[in-house]
Amino acid sequence: MFHISSQKKYWTFDNEESLEQLRYEANQKYRNKMLASGKPGVSDAVFLEAHEENVLFRHYEKRLLDFCNAFKPVMPKSVVGTAIMYFRRFYLNNSLMEYHPRTIMLICAYLSCKVDEFNVSSTQFVGNLVQESAAGQERALEQILEYELLLIQQLNFHLVVHTPYRPMEGLLIDIKTRYPLLENPESLRKSVDDFLTRVTLTDSGLLFPPSQIAMTAILNSASRAGLSMESYLTECMGLKEDKETLLKMYDAMRRIKSLMKKYELPKPDEVNAYKVKLERVHADFGTNSNMNG
Amino acid sequence: MKGRCSNSPGLIRGKENCQSDLCEMDDQGCPRCKTTKYRNPSLKLMVNVCGHTLCESCVDMLFVRGSGNCVQCDTPLRKSNFRVQLFEDPAVDKEVEIRKKVLKIYNKRDFDFSNLREYNDYLERVEEIVYNLTNNLEVEGTKQIMEAYQRENRDIIQKNKAKLTREQEELEELLLLEQQGNEQRRLETLQEEQRQLQAKRKSKQALLDELERSHVPATILLAQHKDRAAQLETQIEKQKQVVKTTIFSTGIPMGQTVSLLTVNRLEEVLYHYQPIHMHTYGPPVPELEQLGRLGYLNHVRTAQPQDMAGGYNSGLACHRAIQDAFSGLFHPLG
Repeated sequence: MFHISSQKKYWTFDNEESLEQLRYEANQKYRNKMLASGKPGVSDAVFLEAHEENVLFRHYEKRLLDFCNAFKPVMPKSVVGTAIMYFRRFYLNNSLMEYHPRTIMLICAYLSCKVDEFNVSSTQFVGNLVQESAAGQERALEQILEYELLLIQQLNFHLVVHTPYRPMEGLLIDIKTRYPLLENPESLRKSVDDFLTRVTLTDSGLLFPPSQIAMTAILNSASRAGLSMESYLTECMGLKEDKETLLKMYDAMRRIKSLMKKYELPKPDEVNAYKVKLERVHADFGTNSNMNG
Repeated sequence: MKGRCSNSPGLIRGKENCQSDLCEMDDQGCPRCKTTKYRNPSLKLMVNVCGHTLCESCVDMLFVRGSGNCVQCDTPLRKSNFRVQLFEDPAVDKEVEIRKKVLKIYNKRDFDFSNLREYNDYLERVEEIVYNLTNNLEVEGTKQIMEAYQRENRDIIQKNKAKLTREQEELEELLLLEQQGNEQRRLETLQEEQRQLQAKRKSKQALLDELERSHVPATILLAQHKDRAAQLETQIEKQKQVVKTTIFSTGIPMGQTVSLLTVNRLEEVLYHYQPIHMHTYGPPVPELEQLGRLGYLNHVRTAQPQDMAGGYNSGLACHRAIQDAFSGLFHPLG
């Protein structure tokens, strides 16, 4: 359950600024480490800034989402959500320059399949890397196995991720049972799914409980469809008296929506420019072998 | 121990390829007369202080001639030093002898030491001495150490000796008591049997007398006699069953006053079960049993027969979904 989970205790933060701060610190830590090591060619300009890392992060995150969506056999949504959450948590405390997102992305997906009990053999998994030859797939697998423990460690061994999909189902059941005012909740399902997919690409998972995200998704879709659901919160959830909690809920929902609006796909030319820089950093200072793609 | 063939290296005397487990005949041979052991399985091996064996007849032979040297190691010996071998390996016997002697001097016990570490150190020293003497390493040095120890701890040794003898006496007393008890019981059962035999004989005699004297017809007399015999039998049976209890099951003899020290009563607070209360940060979740009644189950996929066989029912999935939906819904965030 979320209320006793490690996600609530350790991986739910108060506001976006603290997240930004963590990412900035991760970036600084790597920079200082490299500057202190005194390798040749090290200078401040070579490294990526925190906002540049952010652009690249979003790019690779989108690629991870595409990879998961194209996965054969079909990956359940919770697995996808877990993989993206791992990716996000990892790069909260580590810099993209230290560990290349290409590798970490695959490891996140692999670990998420294991944790969520979505049974895929390792050969089947790397078989989904369609651009690679068989040898390339082998190398990819080796890399995955090499860095898997690192990922688990950086997640602080907190492997259970609560995604908003099951709360969404629960809320739909609840609405169908207790809220007859809304006639056909199933009609909302498509837009709710869509909303939830877009929300996973934002930082909401690190800031809000999954049930609140699901609630936001449902209320949003309902208002989009022109259906009024205001009384659901007041009547069914028993919040008629409790104004304070009601206000907090509205506030949280507003913030989630604003986070969604702020999200935009990274621009290709920026991405390419930063990618070049990243590759150079990894080539010069990195210790791991690179794959194509 | 004696019957089995010892296959440990360096100790195979006699036949080399001793395969079977229980080869009585082909056991160790006497190093002097070699063959005699095989021919005479009842012959005993004797061992002496240098750790070498000799069969009984060879021992006699050796001392008849007056010379007292061991065959293998040429140490001077006395006839009294030979003891019947108890262990298959004579080295073990030798060590046992040495140990007895050493422990006569090093007879401290665990309560003589202030902590466990010191006691263990002491024991290790004793073992070292025994080892050295058994394997003839630094014999002189070890003997000197022993003498020095003996001189220093003379009074402690004496005290412990006294204690030891006292314990031995107590043990012997107990043994004696037990023996006496056994004897008594044996005598009693004998007496009982005697009495029973006598009683039977008397009743037979009485029957014969009655048959002679009385005027009552014989059949009635016989019937009476049978009755009495049966009564006697039951009496005997009853007596056998009455086991004289002289001793409680804990070993305290009956009739002995035992001092009962007052046992401290431990008063503790009685445990009251408090059900666990979990803060879910959300609206209350209906109980699993209520879900059907409240209508939740109508909106959940019904369980197939193959699911139900494993114990699954749709309420479980529904309950979990509702729990997840409500958990943390009101979570206060900054």
